Amino acid sequence: MPDKLVHAESVTKVFRTRAGEVRAVDDVSLTVHRGETLGLVGESGSGKSTMARLMMGLQTPTSGRVEFDGQDLSKLPARELRLLRPRMQMVFQNPYGSLLPHFSAIGNVMEPLRLHERGDKESRRTKALELLDLVGINTGHAELYPRQFSGGQQQRIAIARALALEPDLLVCDEPTSSLDVSIQAQILELFTDLRDRLGLSFLFISHNLAVVERLADRVAVMNKGRVVEEGSTEDLFRAPQDDYTRQLLSAVLPIRQAPGL
Amino acid sequence: MSDEALLSVRGLRTTFRRDGAEPLTAVDGVSFDVRRGQALAIVGESGSGKSVTMRSVMGILPRTARITDGQAMFGGRDLLAIGDKELRKVRGRDIAMVFQSAMEAMNPTLTLERQLTEHLLWHGICNKAEARKRAVRALGDVGIPDPEKRIRTYPFQLSGGMRQRAMIAMAMVTEPALLIADEPTTAVDVTVQRQILDLLAELKNRGTGVIMITHDLGVARYFCDDAVVMYAGRVVERAPMDRLLDDPRHPYSVGLLGSGVEVGGRELPLRPIPGSPPDLSHRPDGCPFHPRCARAELPRCGTEQETLTIGPGRDAACWKVAVDA
Ligand SMILES: Nc1ncnc2c1ncn2[C@@H]1O[C@H](COP(=O)(O)OP(=O)(O)OP(=O)(O)O)[C@@H](O)[C@H]1O
Ligand SMILES: Nc1ncnc2c1ncn2[C@@H]1O[C@H](COP(=O)(O)OP(=O)(O)O)[C@@H](O)[C@H]1O
Ligand code: SF4
Ligand SMILES: [Mg+2]
Ligand SMILES: [Mg+2]
Repeated sequence: MPDKLVHAESVTKVFRTRAGEVRAVDDVSLTVHRGETLGLVGESGSGKSTMARLMMGLQTPTSGRVEFDGQDLSKLPARELRLLRPRMQMVFQNPYGSLLPHFSAIGNVMEPLRLHERGDKESRRTKALELLDLVGINTGHAELYPRQFSGGQQQRIAIARALALEPDLLVCDEPTSSLDVSIQAQILELFTDLRDRLGLSFLFISHNLAVVERLADRVAVMNKGRVVEEGSTEDLFRAPQDDYTRQLLSAVLPIRQAPGL
Repeated sequence: MSDEALLSVRGLRTTFRRDGAEPLTAVDGVSFDVRRGQALAIVGESGSGKSVTMRSVMGILPRTARITDGQAMFGGRDLLAIGDKELRKVRGRDIAMVFQSAMEAMNPTLTLERQLTEHLLWHGICNKAEARKRAVRALGDVGIPDPEKRIRTYPFQLSGGMRQRAMIAMAMVTEPALLIADEPTTAVDVTVQRQILDLLAELKNRGTGVIMITHDLGVARYFCDDAVVMYAGRVVERAPMDRLLDDPRHPYSVGLLGSGVEVGGRELPLRPIPGSPPDLSHRPDGCPFHPRCARAELPRCGTEQETLTIGPGRDAACWKVAVDA
């Protein structure tokens, strides 16, 4: 079994717009190893979300290739790609937008199971309830609709939904940035717990460097479509090598007078 | 203080109609002042009523909402009483709003140009050519490269962070007296965040009062002068910004500070507040924080909520807080 779960090799993505060509991702190679959390940080517009979509096979690179579990996504027939799809799931910044508004909380979690024909209705219900419980949603509220939950609770439901198909990889695009700090702290604990219990791998995109420092094993820094620095979380935060990384770290706004106290 | 306040909100109460149940009180007697050229931070957990408070003041509540009590004095008029037609004249010109998500504020089917010039043209502030010039300048000001070109694009063609900046440009273009910013920098990276805050600070220096709803206590510290902490639809602590962060007094404020993660604090244990905010249809009696509060003492905390003055410009809704000598 390859140690690399997802691997992007020299991928480039060019978009054509009225304003001309945009090179969103420019010759990037990136790997998420099995069981690892890779943090992806960088300026807005630097290509992080595009990179995430490429790594999930949701968009095709203009050049380069992406391998999931050793299989080249661009070479896979549609049927096999469909089988791979459940193994990578995404959690977005805006939980409400990623939930089905006319489905209850439990309905949202059951839907991917139904689409992929997992189990019967009863077992799907049981599984969805377990997942809601796992992410800390009171199962007594399972029949409520997304809008009846707070932002933090919606994100928990979105996470439960993403976990329904038992993915190997969870791609999180700013998953806590619409949440306030106390809920963020709980979601961070939830992610840590999921990683330890389920052995999940994460690609974790966030502009919140403190969150990335806390969760990631390794960090890659993107700037203008390129990865400018990559390293272990500890090294990168302690001794950033690239000018842009240094600039990024110095822009962090401390909460307490002496951070870390 | 309320004499010199730009916006003075007193006893605001907003409810939502529900099918087959009592109306839900989302905002329950909220008061605060915003001063000219100063920024007020409003912090608190999801569902604590921050957005509903602002939407009440702006008159942009959903149909099911009703303001049942309170005042919001702005330029000698009560915004809660002047009616929709007058309020529409104030909105976008004297008071601008920046939302949590640019998708809420921007129309996906219109170019940036149409959206940025809309308020200028609708309020008759200037002609079309001038409006375009100001719009391009505003886009450049918020750090959008190539504003002359970008102004012709649609919101979906921008990255999330750029869309957020475009929305801020949209709010700044009329130079409003009051800017209400609901999580304005959550979608952007720290360098752009700093750039946006510095831009907003310039607006502040020119006298604009700002209400900043934020989950980011670092942003609050950097940008805001005063702070209001909300919980379950009520204000639980009011303090000068630095005092709140360096020496929080209300147990909920203490909990918020304990949940904040900081660079360099990787090894520090997280101390999230246990549980979640109350379902407002079952708001706990007395102090609504008592089911989660480590210092709660029953029966008193479960039956009454008392606000103590801590010091100048500082109070907290807890009978157990330490009060300055
Ligand atoms: N359209 C609505 N219908 C019914 N209840 C609503 C509606 N909008 C808000 N509420 C309720 O009002 C309360 C306050 O919501 P509000 O959105 O103001 O919180 P918030 O502090 O802004 O939270 P967040 O930080 O998640 O945006 C919540 O209990 C919420 O469920
Ligand atoms: N569908 C698209 N059409 C045109 N340009 C796009 C599209 N998606 C992204 N881009 C452009 O690609 C660049 C990177 O965007 P994105 O990956 O969203 O950045 P990030 O997530 O780091 O904020 C930006 O310049 C953006 O405008
Ligand atoms: S009143 Fe009681 S429950 Fe409420 S914050 Fe104070 S100590 Fe805690
Ligand atoms: Mg993005
Ligand atoms: Mg809100």
